[in-house]
Amino acid sequence: MRRRSPWLWATALFAYAFLYVPLLIVVVYSFNDSRLNAEWVGFTLDWYRKLAADDDMLAAAGNSLLIAVTASAVSTVLGTMAGVAMHRYKLTVLPVLVLTPIAIPEILMGVSLLIFFVLLNFTLGLVSVALAHIAFCIGFVAIVVRARLAGMDETLTEAARDCGASPANAFRYVTLPLIMPGVIAGALMAFTLSIDDFVITFFTAGAGTVTLPLQIYSMIKIAVTPEVNAVSTLLMLLTLLLIVVAAKLSPTLLRSDRET
Amino acid sequence: MTTFRSPVALAAVLAALFAFAPLAAARDQLHLYNWNNYIAPETIKRFEGTCQCEVVQTYYSDNEELLAKLAAGAKGYDVLVPTSNAVQALIRGGQLKPLDKTALPNLKNVDPAYLNTPFDPNNQYSVPYAMSTTIIGYNDEKMKELGLPTDTWAVIFDPKYLEKVKGRVTVLDSANELFAAALKYLGYSANDVDPKHWDEAAAVIKKAKPYWAAFNASSYIKELTVGNIWLVHGYSNDIFQANLDAQAAGRKFHILQGVPKEGAVLAVDNMVIHKSAPRPDLALRFINFMLEGRNSAELTNLIGSGNPNADALKYIKPELTKLPAVFPPKELQAKLEQLKDVTVTQRRLRSKLWTEIKASK
Repeated sequence: MRRRSPWLWATALFAYAFLYVPLLIVVVYSFNDSRLNAEWVGFTLDWYRKLAADDDMLAAAGNSLLIAVTASAVSTVLGTMAGVAMHRYKLTVLPVLVLTPIAIPEILMGVSLLIFFVLLNFTLGLVSVALAHIAFCIGFVAIVVRARLAGMDETLTEAARDCGASPANAFRYVTLPLIMPGVIAGALMAFTLSIDDFVITFFTAGAGTVTLPLQIYSMIKIAVTPEVNAVSTLLMLLTLLLIVVAAKLSPTLLRSDRET
Repeated sequence: MTTFRSPVALAAVLAALFAFAPLAAARDQLHLYNWNNYIAPETIKRFEGTCQCEVVQTYYSDNEELLAKLAAGAKGYDVLVPTSNAVQALIRGGQLKPLDKTALPNLKNVDPAYLNTPFDPNNQYSVPYAMSTTIIGYNDEKMKELGLPTDTWAVIFDPKYLEKVKGRVTVLDSANELFAAALKYLGYSANDVDPKHWDEAAAVIKKAKPYWAAFNASSYIKELTVGNIWLVHGYSNDIFQANLDAQAAGRKFHILQGVPKEGAVLAVDNMVIHKSAPRPDLALRFINFMLEGRNSAELTNLIGSGNPNADALKYIKPELTKLPAVFPPKELQAKLEQLKDVTVTQRRLRSKLWTEIKASK
């Protein structure tokens, strides 16, 4: 094996530190025995106890999760279909329609969705937020899936068809497994985008619908307590768990292609 | 087709979870669109007990957020708690339902000084809920040590005083609040719109700026508590909170409130009913309930907010009743001003001055 240069190690270390140290600080300070959280005072589990009794915060976290799971599931299916269609056929309208929500400023999208829901007399609530999230997640999934398809060997699908597979079976047994890493990446991306979205959620959420970002943002004026760190820590653990499970279910999902 | 089973199961579970939401709504509900931490939990519990209903709160962190959302047509809220100038904007936009005063016998508890303001003549749509003043907050130990006054805006704006606390002062990052303070310092009204006076105020701010550590509207509570910052232009509720935190952290100093003798800005938040309120009956009951002295007092005891309710005095913790920001005495009331909205041209001029201030060295 070739020895890797110390520079590579240093850069990698720096990159990982840059990504993970802030997260680590959030976790550490969730155990801080100070409402202010400006400096380390002492270890406590009080914030987790407080969180367990805080219905508002738990409801918000529950709503966020429910919406994120729904939005990522639905947008992954629709986004994958859009990605495949965009790859296979020479389309002009669909790509524009699918990709516009990525480029459009969030605030515009939020306001127009709200006006749209009001026009339809659609009651604002969890469903309207989930629909809005699906709308803006589709584009991201489609892009990732299309990129994956672009690197795929088209002849494999043709070979499957030659051997008598129906178009549906060829997709299901050949194309889909090959693009799976892209699909999973798209789903994870949709999940992340949905769970931390503030602007669009703010406009499309109805009376009594609170998600975690809305809840935390409204607390900023009064000072954010370590309870927010505690709920963030739990969410991080959950996300980590999801990724570990996904990796366990299919070891190749999250890795790049094996070397040929 | 084993792989299809899990998505179908997932879809079923999700559908069930969404379906659960309206099921929970079977009980009577009052939708309160409020600032975060702006009602005591025990008050909510008591109201839920008397009305046999559930209070569902949603939060906003800025009047503009509330206005934008309602202007776009959002519905489903019963009671909102906007600041006076936002009340005026909502009235102008036809967003509010007039209040049936016969259902609000407790209105008599409110100090008349806070009723019948130009924002809502005769309180046709709104009644005062709670308030805050924009004043001086200071570290008592340091101010005593340095021999600085704490009852005048001069300590924030005059270089004579500022050079002793250079780099230990923050002011709010808000053009209208800071201009109001500078105008008050110069002896004008906080709502003065004379461009000449604005130029004077801008000059005062520019001269003082090199001595300030920052324009800070969010973390000054923390900075005061830790002891990095000794003097701030900030909201009375925040300064109260800073002192609570400082005491809880066992600091030797206190964070005290200084009310400038020149006067200050007063912000009154009001309860109003949205025109599309699903339950205007519950909304009126809630408003009348919150006008009871005891319920109004619980919020003040929680966050140190100013209280417009004369009947609340006897329920408020004794150490709070002495704070001028909680119950401003008559002679101070006369010097407190609520900020009015400015016209578009005026706002543009102020933005221009503000940009110049921010860019100046």
